[in-house]
Amino acid sequence: MPDPVSAICWRQMEPGPDERLTDYSEDGVDLTLIRWMLSLTPAERLDVLQGHVDDVTAIRELHASQ
Amino acid sequence: MQASRFRPVLRALREAEVDFIVVGGLAAVFNGAPVNTFDTDVVHSRDQANIARLLPVLETLDAIYRIQPDRRLRPTASHLASPGHQNLITRYGPVDFLGTIGRNLGYADLLPHSEEFDIGEGVRVRVLDLETLIAIKEELGGEKDRAVLPVLRRTLEEKKKRKE
Repeated sequence: MPDPVSAICWRQMEPGPDERLTDYSEDGVDLTLIRWMLSLTPAERLDVLQGHVDDVTAIRELHASQ
Repeated sequence: MQASRFRPVLRALREAEVDFIVVGGLAAVFNGAPVNTFDTDVVHSRDQANIARLLPVLETLDAIYRIQPDRRLRPTASHLASPGHQNLITRYGPVDFLGTIGRNLGYADLLPHSEEFDIGEGVRVRVLDLETLIAIKEELGGEKDRAVLPVLRRTLEEKKKRKE
């Protein structure tokens, strides 16, 4: 027998058929990405950037050793 | 080439009480723009006393010019006093010390258009505001600058909406 509470939660997580799930500006900028960045503190934004740089560096080093 | 580590560079400058403003891609990120950058760009005060504080930091960071790393050319006080750009590589990656940006805008011109940000681990730095960053990139009008402008403009709009 399905857990009725889980079933309700699952239904609540499903978007409606006509619901807008993306938000791009007229010039093609992903506004959801900007809103996510703005939700972070400047220190967290720096950590995101540092993470990207570290990842790219790691990938570059991996390829250099191959 | 050494990968960028942003916070140690900024911390070293702050600890030595160097007057500078973070500009470029890093300033865009601090302001909330989802862009990538691989170097630290700062406009430093070209005041003689500030350059005297900056030079030992550059030595600690092992800063040399990127153009000919084999020659290990180090910037001097006269280089840093010029309005030009010093494109350096340090132990924490590439760092550009810019005497001026845009239409000859130096530290004193940009100071009223900057705000202090807490960037974590007890470090606070002055960062150029998004309006000025956009204005400078619009003026420069280069392909690289134009490419990032839509993201910067939309970020500014979203920031303003949050304040309303």
